[in-house]
Amino acid sequence: MASATDNAVPQARPVSAKVVVSGGFGVGKTTFVSAVSEIAPLRTEAKMTSAASEVDDATFVQQKTSTTVAMDFGKITVDQGLVLYVFGTPGQDRFGFMWNDITAGALGALILVDTRRLDECFNAIDFFEQRSVPFVIGLNQFDGAPQHGIEDIREALDLGADVPIVRTDARNSDGALDTLVQLLSHILTTLSQAAVPAAAPAAPTTPEVAPPNPSARPAPVVTNDMRSAAMSALAAERGQ
Amino acid sequence: MGNEDDTEVMESEGSFMRPYLLTGGRTRSDAGELAVEAMVAVSAGSTKPDQKELAQIYTLCETPNSIAEISAKCSMPLGVARVLVADLWGAGTLEVLETTRSDDIAIVRRLLDGIRNR
Repeated sequence: MASATDNAVPQARPVSAKVVVSGGFGVGKTTFVSAVSEIAPLRTEAKMTSAASEVDDATFVQQKTSTTVAMDFGKITVDQGLVLYVFGTPGQDRFGFMWNDITAGALGALILVDTRRLDECFNAIDFFEQRSVPFVIGLNQFDGAPQHGIEDIREALDLGADVPIVRTDARNSDGALDTLVQLLSHILTTLSQAAVPAAAPAAPTTPEVAPPNPSARPAPVVTNDMRSAAMSALAAERGQ
Repeated sequence: MGNEDDTEVMESEGSFMRPYLLTGGRTRSDAGELAVEAMVAVSAGSTKPDQKELAQIYTLCETPNSIAEISAKCSMPLGVARVLVADLWGAGTLEVLETTRSDDIAIVRRLLDGIRNR
């Protein structure tokens, strides 16, 4: 019907923000999204051809196989004027091209890790490091998974002391929300440090921009380039 | 829990062109690219479009919904929802609400306080 509707313009005009939940295949991303979301998680799909062509040409229909990439996401209404979306990245690396779309403009990322399959998070770490997106590593609790020490995992993942590594349980709503809070705290710390005008990379943290926990160990100066190089070396060793 | 992501990838043959008939084959709109989290609402004094899919989007956006929600709730691929919404935006039927900049400290603080106090 083209008749003029009597719609009132919605009174609330919320601003939206986004964080991303990433990690390897079957690591609990969807479970995490469900745990923090106030709505039942929604699933959106993107149809992709292997050629990722700009224009779909129906004449190739017989030859092409299309792939549907599904992304689950949830929503948290923080207040009347602010909504946070939590997006899970597609679980398989071959859909990395969708990650740009999902992560563009994200405040930060939670990278979920299954300690039995540590190497599955390498691609995610690499991805967010290269784009300077702040991230937190969440060790998801799986029954029967070995309980490695945090520092052992930090070493295995070749991460600097500035990247928080926390234990989380994606099955538990309170635990998952705590992890989300830890991610937001880390984003805040990262932004506060970046906001210091002309901060010299090698300078120790100045008192007025110290993170909320001054007892934290000083972060070693590790550039993303150095970490990526180390990561690539590690990945190469593992034959990736 | 280990298999929860297994449904993420579904192979299908021959169906991928159909949704794009709605967009006249376009994968992007002249009006511009929209973020998946961008929220959309109907413009004041606008008229509900005739075409079924557009009308569906319009009705949904009587309360603000994101591109991703429109895609999920209207069962249309993300790319299609994005193009149709961008067209409606370009025509002045829908308004795109503000998304945050990824370096907005005030917003992060508000999110942190809001979620911590849940």
